[in-house]
Amino acid sequence: MEAPPVTSMPVTGGAVNMMEYLLQGSVLDQALESLLHRLRGLSDNMDPETFTDHELVYLLKGQQGNPFILRARRSLSHPTSPWHLRYLGQPEVGDKSRHALVRNCVDVAASHSLPEFLNEMGFRMDHEFTANGHIFRKGVMKIVVSKLSRILVPGNTENTERLSLSYLVELSVLAPAGQDTVSEDMRSFAEQLKPLVHLEKIDPSKQRH
Amino acid sequence: MSGGPAVRVSIESTCEKQVQEVALDGTETYVPPLSMSQNLAKLAQRIDFSQGSDSEEDEVEGEPRDSEWNKQETEEEEGTVKFQPSLWPWDSVRNNLRSALTEMCVLHDVLSVVKEKKYMALDPVSQDPAANKTPQVFQLISKKKLLGTAAQLLLKGAEKLSKSVAENQENRRQRDFNSELLRLRSQWKLRKVGDKILGDLSYRSAGSLFPHHGTFEVIKNTDIDLDKKTPEDYCPLDVQIPSDLEGSAYIKVSIQKQSPDIGDLGTVSLFRRLPKTKAGTQQWHVKLEAAQNVLLCKEIFAQLSREAVQIKSQIPHIVVKNQIISQPFPGLQLSISLCHSTGEKKNHRASPEKPKPDDHLYVLEHNLHQMMREFHKQQLSSVVMPHPASAPFGHKRMRLAGPMAYDKAEISNLQQNEGLLEKIIKQAKHIFLRSRTARTIDSLASRIEDPQIQAHWSNINDVYESSVKVLITSQGYEQICKSIQLQLNIGVEQIRVVHRDGRVVTLSHQEQELQDFLLSQMSQHQVHAVQQLAKVMGWQVLSFSNHVGLGPVESIGNASAVTVASPNGEYAISVRNGPESGCKVLVQFPRSQTKELPKSDVIQDPKWSHLRGPSKEVHWSKMEGRNFVYKMELLMAALTPCP
Repeated sequence: MEAPPVTSMPVTGGAVNMMEYLLQGSVLDQALESLLHRLRGLSDNMDPETFTDHELVYLLKGQQGNPFILRARRSLSHPTSPWHLRYLGQPEVGDKSRHALVRNCVDVAASHSLPEFLNEMGFRMDHEFTANGHIFRKGVMKIVVSKLSRILVPGNTENTERLSLSYLVELSVLAPAGQDTVSEDMRSFAEQLKPLVHLEKIDPSKQRH
Repeated sequence: MSGGPAVRVSIESTCEKQVQEVALDGTETYVPPLSMSQNLAKLAQRIDFSQGSDSEEDEVEGEPRDSEWNKQETEEEEGTVKFQPSLWPWDSVRNNLRSALTEMCVLHDVLSVVKEKKYMALDPVSQDPAANKTPQVFQLISKKKLLGTAAQLLLKGAEKLSKSVAENQENRRQRDFNSELLRLRSQWKLRKVGDKILGDLSYRSAGSLFPHHGTFEVIKNTDIDLDKKTPEDYCPLDVQIPSDLEGSAYIKVSIQKQSPDIGDLGTVSLFRRLPKTKAGTQQWHVKLEAAQNVLLCKEIFAQLSREAVQIKSQIPHIVVKNQIISQPFPGLQLSISLCHSTGEKKNHRASPEKPKPDDHLYVLEHNLHQMMREFHKQQLSSVVMPHPASAPFGHKRMRLAGPMAYDKAEISNLQQNEGLLEKIIKQAKHIFLRSRTARTIDSLASRIEDPQIQAHWSNINDVYESSVKVLITSQGYEQICKSIQLQLNIGVEQIRVVHRDGRVVTLSHQEQELQDFLLSQMSQHQVHAVQQLAKVMGWQVLSFSNHVGLGPVESIGNASAVTVASPNGEYAISVRNGPESGCKVLVQFPRSQTKELPKSDVIQDPKWSHLRGPSKEVHWSKMEGRNFVYKMELLMAALTPCP
């Protein structure tokens, strides 16, 4: 049987280039209740949704300096949901007036054989953690309030230790490239959370040691 | 008592005249004797004024003080004091004079003091009223001054009072505004932007994707005049709604016969329904609710028109101005229009037809609203929420499409096929079909008396399906002849009929089909009734056929026939009933009753004459009896001889 023809160029296109707009902040444990209450009032009228996720970060070290990072995440509260693989690009260095952090984002749903697949591909797991908390939604905006915990024994999600005494608050929108009105809506929403939590754009590259 | 030298005692009478002086020569000058008046004066001098009547008591007291030891003397002196016989006729004179003296002395003192002008001053006192003018002016001025000060005090007090009252009212209004704002906030979404209070009356937080902003502004109602009385419906809070949401709107869904003139499109009669305001609801509440309703109607219409344009259907939908026209059935027109009346002005546009409220299918309007809200709710369902949390929003099953390698058919199954417009058209079709079925059955029931047709509609229906049970009976024989029972399931485009004996017939939406079917069932019923009646009467059924192949061909259905024989076998009745041809009844007589008896050599035995022979038709219309079965019963009874 003949091998299928190999195209010279990889097949691209079809999917729109999606960008993730992100604003982050944090609240102490004591302030969580009031924050949840406020978010419940500001966001869409739904039943509150909690989640427990387990995220694994894979690195592919190439000859170049920067390793390629992929994030694989699965839900512990909904074990039958597919895995979610995510690639986040470098934050766009655009005009400083843009209120949110913008970076290229590729989201793929994967089956439960994802970790083995990535291992076969050559990725090595860098670190893993669990996150649990609440998700809120307002229109296209997603607000995630999560508590991150470190996994002490690799692979064992039961044995976890809290990383900090605070909750991470993330406001994100997934939109096609070029829509800048999104960041305006995000900023106005962040304004309404102002005294409880300050959401601002935090450049991850500046955080790394 | 001694005898001594005797002293010459000369006694002389007292001189009447007193010696005034004795001159050197010894002449005596006598005091001239008092004249009468002088004498009187001398006597008057003797009057002791101090012993007046008013000072008698003092004197009485004074005397005993001096001589207490001599009471007698006191009494005597008292007596002398009391009784001054020489002065007694002068007592009143003395008293009067004495009082006059007192008064004169006082006057003299006063005058002397007044003369000094140090301690007393004389003021002329005149009784003349003309002389009193100058003091009155003085009084007036002083009174005016007093009143002025009093009035000033009162005014000051009144000012303070009025200020406090005004402050109270202001406070109350202020408090009213805040309490109204609290009430408003308990029902509507509000937020503060700068110094303005904005609200959101759109359905976006409930799951709508309509791009209208739906923001309203809350303003304080300050055009109230404190002096005038506050009106009954005064509200310190007022809302300002977006200009395109003013007024009231509704969606009119109606089914009409297809209008032959295409140019008639676009004229929609705005039948303005006056909003019913419940007692106790605030003005702002009514305003906001109306604006929200307008917004929802706009969203519904936008969705419908978008679907009307995008979705391909056999007969294209027409979207004209504020109306969507489609054809559910041939010859029928369904029009959905957005009727938006703004403000209080009457609709001056002369509508071609008078507003017919019966035309408006309120159920479909309500269903449109309900479907829109359901669509909103689906946007918010937890099925959309991502697990894991980093995944994008989307339906849970669609997320599985990638890993499970769904093909196109499976993916299209997951996605919603029907839009709002298709759903509403289906519902309209069903409603129309149901009403037409009811009309058909009712018209048949009123037209045909024998047999009777009864329809029992079920209470619980679906938007796309209703059912009715149709019974065909004869009056008076319901228990015997109940073989025709039909269950009609009215769907969107078809009517499915399930017969009691299990046959299923599918009828189209044509009215005529149902009518023909029911007529054929009615004719079958008559024959069935004869069969049932025979059992009761003791007659024997010789043959029965629902669809006979003999006789004239019916245009509607088939004719049915039955033959029954009397208990003793002598008579037989044959009935043939067709929906068009009506009924034909023949009675078969025994041979012995025929007029001409064929004489034959073969048949010798007379017993053969008891067999049934020729048949004769019955003039059925001349038979007595109110319906077919009754007539049949009478016939059977007549043909059954009494033993």
